[in-house]
Amino acid sequence: MTVSAEKPTMPEKPTMIEFKDVQKYYGDYHALRGITATIKAGEFFSLLGPSGCGKTTLLRTIAGFEGISSGAVLIDGKSMAEVPPNLRPTNMVFQSYAIFPHLTVEQNVGFGLRKDPRSVAEKQKAVDEALGMVGLKGYGKRAAHALSGGQRQRVALARALILKPKVLLLDEPLSALDKKIREQMQMELIKLQREVGITFVLVTHDQEEALVMSDRIAVMFEGEIAQLADPETLYRKPANRKVAEFIGTMNFLPASIVSEDTGKITVDAEGFGRIEINATQVSKANPGDGPSVGFRPETLTLLFDGQTASDRESTATVSEVVYYGDMTYYDVKLAGSDTPLRLSMRNTPGRPVLDIGAPTRVAWSAGAMVLFR
Amino acid sequence: MATTSLFDRVRRSEAASGIALISPTALYAILLLAAPLATVLIYSVMTDGPSVGVIWQLNGENYAKVWTEPIYRAVMLRSLLVSFAVTAVTVLLAYPVAYFVSFNVPASKKSLWLFLITIPFWTSYVIRVFIWKGIILGYNGVINQVLMGVGLTSEPLQAINYNVGAIIITLAHAYAPFAILPIFVSLEKIDRSLLEAGLDLGESRFLTFLRVTLPLSMAGVIAAVMIVFIPTVGDYVTPTLIGGGKVNMIANQIQVEMLKQHRMALGSAIAVSAMLIVCVICLVFLFINRRFLGAQK
Repeated sequence: MTVSAEKPTMPEKPTMIEFKDVQKYYGDYHALRGITATIKAGEFFSLLGPSGCGKTTLLRTIAGFEGISSGAVLIDGKSMAEVPPNLRPTNMVFQSYAIFPHLTVEQNVGFGLRKDPRSVAEKQKAVDEALGMVGLKGYGKRAAHALSGGQRQRVALARALILKPKVLLLDEPLSALDKKIREQMQMELIKLQREVGITFVLVTHDQEEALVMSDRIAVMFEGEIAQLADPETLYRKPANRKVAEFIGTMNFLPASIVSEDTGKITVDAEGFGRIEINATQVSKANPGDGPSVGFRPETLTLLFDGQTASDRESTATVSEVVYYGDMTYYDVKLAGSDTPLRLSMRNTPGRPVLDIGAPTRVAWSAGAMVLFR
Repeated sequence: MATTSLFDRVRRSEAASGIALISPTALYAILLLAAPLATVLIYSVMTDGPSVGVIWQLNGENYAKVWTEPIYRAVMLRSLLVSFAVTAVTVLLAYPVAYFVSFNVPASKKSLWLFLITIPFWTSYVIRVFIWKGIILGYNGVINQVLMGVGLTSEPLQAINYNVGAIIITLAHAYAPFAILPIFVSLEKIDRSLLEAGLDLGESRFLTFLRVTLPLSMAGVIAAVMIVFIPTVGDYVTPTLIGGGKVNMIANQIQVEMLKQHRMALGSAIAVSAMLIVCVICLVFLFINRRFLGAQK
């Protein structure tokens, strides 16, 4: 995961892509609702959201495959309004990879080099280098249609990167790969992005993928950016409950507000009782919902015999056990609450796996909680 | 009982049901295609008698005649040239139509368009040829009326009928749907993201067409060429009606030899030679274009 603590000390990067109040209608359907955001040069940026949220549409407005109804898209300071896709400084890795089936691997990779003034030999060298960069050395003469999904993706990457674009657009590039290859490709993409220093804009619906790979993430719902932040901020301090539910797992307990001081809010949460929450840890509830406190599974810990909580503890009952080998996932219910809370415990040697119905104690801390109101 | 169960087993086997399924068609094909073809092949190496029918005596002279006498060569060449021209005109005109229906017509309206394209088939081929002959290209036809009406000519042009050009126009119209449909199918199969990839990699729309769309639709173009070329070489009705008996093609020549001159053996030799020539041309054409066939997923 990205180390966000170092970020403020890094020099501010120049802006690469700028969206200015971008609106997009398909007939009556309002696909993009006033997108305003900037993507910095050399950044690994992700557009994250459920299907139909407009993330792919937004990506395609950068490539030029979708026009916009109003607003502006700027790349490197220039308005893209009149620039067709073939003249934009962007290249795309398509979701289907769009490998030309009638060409060989090296013809695919060299497709965009037709107008390149370099000699045939130099171009061939560039193609070989690009193939080497994505780990497909020696595959050049193969027929493109005979490649596996992972190899196609590498060809698509090489084909785009060989043109040295200012921005590389990736439309759900890993969604068609199986889990092992996907995780391996995530790491390779991160490395590749650091090596080439090109701005990457990734579209994904997989929150884990976005967290692992991105410098910053824009979470989108229904044509709007709900939150734009680095992965850790998104995870620790989601802007609203929808984002909190979309990114990872979060437990919620209904709460009522007791008092508000400057910098501190005291709430009464179901099962936990009185909690003081820092005013910086306040986020928006869904419209029409009452206040609730939210916390991630890893901020709850089961206490075994003889252990004591460093901050606070409550009694609870185990209501569900899911054994994963290295980890055990529990659902517990606090005394006086019927809401199951998810938590995970590492299965260290000698630590028992509890049974359903077992009484237990959980340790928790108010500092890790977010108040949604 | 063993024989019954064996019979049952054979009857229920997949091969038996397959044979049962194709047998009506197979029977039809054997009786009406294979048998006549065999007859023609046999006739072509026999000797023509003094009247109707052949003398059962092996004879290689028919082929020698077909391949050496200028009249047969000229008619064969004309047939090939006409079909080359018809094929070229038809496929060149069909491609834009297929492209338009595949790329520009909304998905919900495509069936309607295909339906409209096949409407000419609602009228018999012979009637369509007559329409061209009489109403459009004829002495008192639309073209002559228009030309005289606007004062370009003072009397009807004879030249627009009874010539090779008229034959080509008529055949091209008749075969247009046969060319449009296979090209349309091959265009439909192209993943649209490939065209976006072409643009994305810096090519203009036109060059993307040349480098992506055209090669990927070549299978359809090749099919269209074959579908138009093969039957037009042997077309009989159009040269008879539009050509007015003045512009014979190979099928007319065969008809003359067989039915008028009663030279069945010679007529058969022309027919077999024509088949061989068409076959060789098609194989060469397929060989030249082999890289477009089968390589795609």
